[in-house]
Amino acid sequence: MSSGSGSGASSSFEAEALLWLDDVHRFALSMTRDEADADDVVQETYLRAFRSWQTFLTGSDCRRWLFTICRNVFLRSKERERLTVDVSSPEVETLAAVRMHAEAMQSGWGVDSLLDRADLGPAIARAIAELPEAYRVAVVLVDVEGQSYDEAAEIMGVPVGTVRSRLFRGRRRLQEALFIHARDAGFDPPTEEHQTG
Amino acid sequence: MIDCQSAMQQLWDYLDGELTPDRMAAVREHLAVCKLCFPHYDFERALLAAVARTKDTARAPAELRTRVMTALQRDGMAGL
Repeated sequence: MSSGSGSGASSSFEAEALLWLDDVHRFALSMTRDEADADDVVQETYLRAFRSWQTFLTGSDCRRWLFTICRNVFLRSKERERLTVDVSSPEVETLAAVRMHAEAMQSGWGVDSLLDRADLGPAIARAIAELPEAYRVAVVLVDVEGQSYDEAAEIMGVPVGTVRSRLFRGRRRLQEALFIHARDAGFDPPTEEHQTG
Repeated sequence: MIDCQSAMQQLWDYLDGELTPDRMAAVREHLAVCKLCFPHYDFERALLAAVARTKDTARAPAELRTRVMTALQRDGMAGL
């Protein structure tokens, strides 16, 4: 069943599509990294969505549909081709992150207290923004917006295996950036007293 | 039971709930008894939760909503 037409379509569009404006804006901004460009992408996304509203199936995931349009608008607006990036296997990325954490634990600078820091949110947001686009989009869709691998693959227009590779590479780089942030912020090794408990 | 290498290779898939039920169970079983792997699981879980929380800080500007509505009305959207 489609979403209808005329004023009924307008009201259903307002109720179902405009509801996700914050989410679409956040996703657009994660790709453009520029407020003005993001606003342009969001506006174009909603215009295209409205023009295609007849084809949207009631009961489908409207947010995912809008993310897909948003991603396509972004790629076309920048005349970018879908990025192909070389990545290690996802398993290697996972193990590398685990090893990084293990080494940080062994060095004794209290990396686990990093996650208790009140100022971590802005540092994470900054680290996400600095990721290369291909990794950033995968991290934002899965880790911030809560999409599954399959859903992110549909939005990005790439195979699930590619989402997984980009996501895991992005996570590893994110973790690395946060560890560097923690060191730069003066996370000193715990004192002898703390170490011996 | 799977070994540490296998459990850690699947850690992110496990945290994302993207493994088959059998593999989910195998990793869960390993983490329940392995004191070496559990801290890594605990850290990565907390890190992903912290990343997810960044969502709460970002909102669309009010001007953007007005701009989109105006563009939609120009495009023929009625009743707004």
